[in-house]
Order: sequence, then C-alpha cells, then structure tokens
Amino acid sequence: MPDIWGIAAIYAKLILYVGLAGSVGLVIIRAVFADLVSPISDRMRVQAVLLAGLALAASVLGFMLRGAALTGGADGMTDPEILGLLWQTPVGDVLVYRMAGAVLIIIGVFIPLSGQWIVLAGGLITLWTFAQIGHVPELETTGVRVLLLLHLLGIAFWIGVLGPLRALSRRPEHIASAATLGHRFGQAASVIVPGLILAGLLMAWLLLGDLRALVATGYGQTLLIKLVLVGAILSLAAANKLRFVPAMQAGDDKAAHHLARSIEIETAVILLVLAATATLTSVLTLPN
Amino acid sequence: MKRLATLALISTLATSAFAHSRVDTTTPENGAVIADVPAEISFNFAADIRLTRVDMTHQDHPSVRLDLGDETSFDRVFTLPLQGMGEGIYGIEWRGLGVDGHAMQGEFTFTVD
Repeated sequence: MPDIWGIAAIYAKLILYVGLAGSVGLVIIRAVFADLVSPISDRMRVQAVLLAGLALAASVLGFMLRGAALTGGADGMTDPEILGLLWQTPVGDVLVYRMAGAVLIIIGVFIPLSGQWIVLAGGLITLWTFAQIGHVPELETTGVRVLLLLHLLGIAFWIGVLGPLRALSRRPEHIASAATLGHRFGQAASVIVPGLILAGLLMAWLLLGDLRALVATGYGQTLLIKLVLVGAILSLAAANKLRFVPAMQAGDDKAAHHLARSIEIETAVILLVLAATATLTSVLTLPN
Repeated sequence: MKRLATLALISTLATSAFAHSRVDTTTPENGAVIADVPAEISFNFAADIRLTRVDMTHQDHPSVRLDLGDETSFDRVFTLPLQGMGEGIYGIEWRGLGVDGHAMQGEFTFTVD
C-alpha cells in the first residue's frame, strides 16, 4: 500500500486529469461542433475555465505532495529546501509547463476566435508534459511520446463531449441538436476510438514487455482493471451510438433520457479509469 | 451507483506494489542478526539519489530522526552514524529523491542480539 502521501498524490493526479482533459476537451468540442452547442456555449466556456483552474491547482498540489513524500510529513509540502531540490529536477520543469499551459487555456477561452488556438497550444503544452516525465518517456522513444500525446488528445475529445451532450439531451427543445451532436461525435469516434485503443495497447505492451506481468505484478493488475473498465465504457458508448442516438434522431424523447443516464454512468466509469491511470503513473513501478 | 463507484475507486487504489524503491544493498543487511550495535549504517543504491529523511526505530524507544550530516548530495553510497540503543530490533526507514524527480522510500530491519 502506498502511504498517505502516495494516496494523496493519486487524488491530485486524478484531479489534474479531470481538469485538463475536461477543459481541453470542452474547448475542442466547442470549436468543432460550434453550430450544435451554441445554446450552451457560454456555460461551456465557464466550465472550461473552472476545469483549467482545477488543473492548475492540482499541478501545484501534486508538486507540494511530492515534497511531503520526501520528508514523510506535511512539513515537506512547504519546506523550501525540499521544494527547491524538487524544483531542479524534471518535476520542477513539468510544474512550470503545466502552470503555463493552464494559464494559456484560461486566457485563450476569453479571446474570441483566435483564442481557441491559444487554448489548443496551452492544452498541447500541458498534455506534452505527460510525455516528459513518467514511464512512457523512460522508453526514450519519440514515436511513443507522440503516441501518448495523441492518446491524451483523443481522451480529451471524448471527455469533452460528455457534458454538452448530456446537457442538450436533457432539454426537450434541444433534443434534435443532441441527436446530431451524438451522431457526428459517433462518426468521429469510430475513427478516434480504435486509434485510442491501439495506442493504449501498444504503450501497455511496450511498458509491460511480457503478458505474464499483467497478472503477476501490481502494475499489470491495475492495468488489467483499467482495461476491464475501458471495456465497460466501450459497451456504454456502443449502446449510445447504436441505440439511443438513432432513436433520438427518429424523434424518441425517452431515448434522450436514456442517453443522459448512460452518459452519467459512463462519466463515473471514466473517473475510475482515470483513477486507475493515476495509480499506475503515481505510485506503481514498472514490472521490469 | 455512487456507492458502487466509491467502492470501486477504493479497491482500485488499494494496490499492493510499492513506489520506486531501488536500494541495492544496506549494511547491516535487511533481516541480519548481529552481535553488536553498528557504529554506522550504509546504503548502496542502484542509481543516484538524494536522501531526504532517515528515521530509526527501536523496539524500546520512540522513532528517532537520523542526522544526514554532509550526506546531502546526489550519490549512490551513503553512510550515517548510528546511536546504539542496546539489544533488540532496529528499523531504518528512508526517503529520498531520484535524479528524475521520483520520490523513493524503503526500509530495512536488523536485530542486535
């Protein structure tokens, strides 16, 4: 079991994932499907800012928690010597990039039109930090780092659609927009999701190196939990795409209610996947 | 649903493998039984590390923080003086920072009998 600082670090990482994927995703969805989400566009902007703020706070908290992990007490979170030491490592560099990226996202959201490119730049900078430290960069292959970045962008796109799709499908006057959004997202997802899965499996294989490690090590077991949860999400997504969205397009109002409920469950499972990922990247060592 | 999610979250987090501890050897060795209290303990790490905290526990005494002295740079080998507390089981718990920024920790025990 990781100690209390390890567990706190997992939660800080989880909040960082939610804030970052949520804010970047919302902005991408708002730009790509502008015509469909216009009724809730202002709300999405506020949500994107709040989520970027959450990512900023979680980045700082995560850095301070590493200080606590170094001393074994809360004093490490504010110990200038310990934090100064950390600052000189790649962890310090990553904190700077994550803070700068989150600030760019927040600024970009308030600038019309060209702002979305600032947000995208901020999002890319922040997402790229995950390719700078951690297990994947240890592989020292640029191709895999780019793969990780694309994997993260795909996830952000997916997470970004959940809120708007749910909000629209709960408003009877916007069910047609919700149906079209669901349909067009489904079309994009049918290309993006297989790519996401392939990238994820390839990285998992490179990191594990051996199928036996999947059951024999804590890292492998957590990865297995993640894969099972991802399987559950895919089933929900398939139900949304093949059943609820077509029914909504045919004018079935009840299907919109089912879709909203399905998205809520999907969000809960995605949180679990992110928690499993935060565990993999925060406290578990690679099998080899 | 919420309860289910909480349960699943907790079980996801309750994993057994531990973080990034790559100590190669220690003196005394983990689990060693020795006749006299050693004047010092040493760590030999697989990669460079900066020790940030070392605590010693003894069965009859509360935990004591060991003075790192000059051993405050990135290195593989560290030697710290030890104040003897008589016979019994000693536990050494260490924490340190890897060059890559990873927090590392570990522990070892030895018995003076």
